[in-house]
Amino acid sequence: MDFAKRARDSDGGREGEHRWTLSEAALARLFVAPSVLMLALVALFPVLYAGSLSLYLYDGREREGFTGIANYTHALSDERFWQAILATFTFTGSSVTLELLIGLGFALLMAQAFRGQGPTRAVILVPWVIPTVVAAQMWYFMFNIQPGFINHSLPLVPRDFNWLGQKGWTMSALIVADVWKTAPFMALLLLAGLQVIPPELYESARVDGASAWRRFLHITLPILRPTILVALLFRTVDALRVYDLPKVMTNGTFGTETLSMLVERYVVQTVNPGIASALAVLTFATVLGVSIIFVSFLSRNLLLGSRA
Amino acid sequence: MAKPILKFAGLFAIVAWCLFPFVWLIDTSLKINDLALNSPNLFEGPIGPNNYLSVIQQGFTYNLRNSFVVAGTTTALCIGMGSLGAYAVARLRLRGKAFLLSGVLALSLFPPVALVPPLYEVWRHADLLNTYQGMIVPYVAFTLPLTIFILTNFFAALPVELEEQARVDGASHLQAFYRIIVPLAAPGVASAAILVFVYAWNEFLLASTFAPRDLDVQTVPVAIASFTGSVQYQRPIGTITAACVIVTLPMILLVLLFQRWIVAGLTAGSVKG
Amino acid sequence: MSEKGSDGMSLEELLGRRVDRRTVLRGAALASLSAPALALWLEACQSQSSTPGNTQLTWAVPAVAKEIRQKTADLWNAQHSDSQVRLSVLPEQADQQRQQIALELNAKSSTFDVIAIDVIWTGEFAKNGWLENLDDVRSKLDGVSLPGALESAQWKGHLWAIPYVTNAGFLYYRKDLVASPPKSWDELMSVGLQAAKGQGIAPFVGQGAKYEGFVVNYLEYMWAAGGNLFNKDTSKVLFNANGEALKATQFMRQSLTAGFYAAGFNTMHEEEARITFQSGKAVFMRNWPYAVSLMNKTGDSKVVGKFDIAPLPTFSGQGSVSALGGLNNSISAYSKNKAKAKAFATFAATDPAAQRAIGEASEPPTLASVYKDLAADPVFKVLGQVLPDARPRPPVPKWNDISAAIQDQIFPAYNGEKDPAAAVEAVRKFLESTL
Repeated sequence: MDFAKRARDSDGGREGEHRWTLSEAALARLFVAPSVLMLALVALFPVLYAGSLSLYLYDGREREGFTGIANYTHALSDERFWQAILATFTFTGSSVTLELLIGLGFALLMAQAFRGQGPTRAVILVPWVIPTVVAAQMWYFMFNIQPGFINHSLPLVPRDFNWLGQKGWTMSALIVADVWKTAPFMALLLLAGLQVIPPELYESARVDGASAWRRFLHITLPILRPTILVALLFRTVDALRVYDLPKVMTNGTFGTETLSMLVERYVVQTVNPGIASALAVLTFATVLGVSIIFVSFLSRNLLLGSRA
Repeated sequence: MAKPILKFAGLFAIVAWCLFPFVWLIDTSLKINDLALNSPNLFEGPIGPNNYLSVIQQGFTYNLRNSFVVAGTTTALCIGMGSLGAYAVARLRLRGKAFLLSGVLALSLFPPVALVPPLYEVWRHADLLNTYQGMIVPYVAFTLPLTIFILTNFFAALPVELEEQARVDGASHLQAFYRIIVPLAAPGVASAAILVFVYAWNEFLLASTFAPRDLDVQTVPVAIASFTGSVQYQRPIGTITAACVIVTLPMILLVLLFQRWIVAGLTAGSVKG
Repeated sequence: MSEKGSDGMSLEELLGRRVDRRTVLRGAALASLSAPALALWLEACQSQSSTPGNTQLTWAVPAVAKEIRQKTADLWNAQHSDSQVRLSVLPEQADQQRQQIALELNAKSSTFDVIAIDVIWTGEFAKNGWLENLDDVRSKLDGVSLPGALESAQWKGHLWAIPYVTNAGFLYYRKDLVASPPKSWDELMSVGLQAAKGQGIAPFVGQGAKYEGFVVNYLEYMWAAGGNLFNKDTSKVLFNANGEALKATQFMRQSLTAGFYAAGFNTMHEEEARITFQSGKAVFMRNWPYAVSLMNKTGDSKVVGKFDIAPLPTFSGQGSVSALGGLNNSISAYSKNKAKAKAFATFAATDPAAQRAIGEASEPPTLASVYKDLAADPVFKVLGQVLPDARPRPPVPKWNDISAAIQDQIFPAYNGEKDPAAAVEAVRKFLESTL
């Protein structure tokens, strides 16, 4: 998209092309400046500082000396780190997939006009507006064998099923809780993307005799692609850093200790800023790696600035 | 094509899935007896408003006010800055857009729990502890990436001809932005606004570090974390659920209001199933 | 290209209408949202002011039982109008309490004057230089406060805190199902399994989830088997010196597999255990004394009058051992009112009215004389038996790390996810590394 060229080609444009290009670039920088400044101030310094901490050896809270990458080798050779990676990726893969599918369903429903659409949309968003600290406690109470709400409510489940104390089921409980809470978030993002699809595309497809499924496949999905990627991106990087839910529901037992829990352990519980920062940087690198994959798909769509 | 029964069943399933924990929440918040609180039976035990009264007595209304101020200001600032930035990325000529987007995103990826100690130090020296600003500033910073991404996507999808038309009519870039783009991007802006508001409303880690106890600034999630039962070790599930109900009802109202704006761009029945 | 509206208007018309309506709506919404927000903000900017001339002492207390803390503060405030004590309530979770205290003290802030700290934090906080040395107050406490509590406030021979409330583990048992409480764990297991079978309930509940409470339960088994973590002056590791730690681990594993432990034992904290017992679904329970008054509330408990308390058993059948818990009041090294803070902390520990109020709220006090006064109360009778034998966890600065290591190794071991011998060895290695 070349604005200057278009300006030159169109009939309007009282300004000369030289002034236009300059003011546009300057304006662009001006628009972007506040955000960049904000992030540099708040996020850049702590990230660099935390990163620098990882290069020192600590005994508890006391700094003992510069040690280069010793904290990293220690972290990477710890079996616990790799178990956390497994737990984190298992959780992320399962919950994000489910949230995408359910969120898409919700979004399609919310986009429709029908009687009671307002309350329906509000109902769909309810799980997500409940504070996370409360939702985690709530699901803990529902899954826990005591009081055993889920055990008593679902028909096929034995009364004393120990959801939160058995390998495999702990992860399932976490995923259920997370999907319930966050599918609306996906739905919102996807709904925003559904808005830009021009209705006449559907009209002409319908006139041509395309079924609902074909319209979905050939119109909705392609146009929704960038939105889906954005939604996946943000949901994935959040899921990779999940902390509240496993901490409250299972405290990391039976294969549910995530990367963020491991970091928190060394920041708060068994305090060691060196190891904590090294783990944080490793977590950061993991999350960054995953997001780079998404962004590379995304930037092709976003920056071209036009629909497919 | 539409099968009404199928649609109705689907709708009912969705509503039940979203609401059943909430039913449990309300039910538990009304229980006042120890045994009832811990019983799986929804209908067991005496009920009463005790939990709600206890919550309000602990100054919860102040927490609600604080959360509202922090979340509201965060949303306003974030949308304001974010929409400008997104417009620049989507529409204007800017060198290094990809780098900018990635950098903005990358900075927000660091595990927040590791950022707390250095941020605490800075905040302490800048006298930002126990203030509204102390929470608003990091919240805006951490929600800018998502906002910018959502709005960039949205702006980019709007037809270019709209601005061109405006420029033909003599508007500057800024005017084109305000009068044409922003109104049309209302659904995107509304969605981003809700996302930011709810994030700021529910945020716990930074709030509990920067404004842990002072009722002048303590927000809702932090307050809930200091609820206690009437006796040692007792899990205050009664008061927690009562607080949650108190908190969620205005949020639902807010959502009911906003949802009209989210889909405001659509005309009735334009996306047919 | 035209954007089709619902009635097919042209672009200009649509834009014109949209801009008008939307701008107005947006402006109205913004105004209505921001006006009250602004007003509230301005109102909130007013800060609290304190009366000049008087000292205000800030007492950081955990959120649990804050009403009892308030009572102590009220009793002091009534007699000391020039130095009023104000509570600063810390979160409910122990980890978060510790984190908030650490943030303040690490930053050398003078926000807190007196801090009520868990007995297991004494060594760590003292080593970090966060606490004021209180050796000069010791004479007021020797022989006055319970010796176990006093010991838990010491590290490296110095006094770092003043005892306030204490705690010890009990055995709760259903006296309608079990004639007299067994004195050995093996006997308790067989009696429990027997009694439970007839009733269709669980034999035993305790604290088996992965947290500090689990470490407490485990140590009680280990001590009951005659084991120790360190020697008296923590210069040598005695863990599993004669296989006691392994025995304790294997006992827990066996309890789980044999069905001695209730279903869900590995997710139980104090409350889950209490509720199970209170609903009549367990024969035995290991818990702190706080549960007694709760379980005697008619209408709320299914075991009113049906249960009794006793000291915990050992493996040999001789004597009893339980873990010591509690809260001690420390003085922040950065407080600006150290003298008055010390006076308040000493008051909280030695004033008979204050300590009796604690006892009446079903929390074990640390003033020895209160136990004589309340000897008629059955809880205090058993407490009097149990407290002399209550063992503190080692007052080492690295206690948190040690506890984490025990949780990391022994929790999976008793759940069958790790070999008990390997787990015990890993803990021993870690203990060695802390010396």
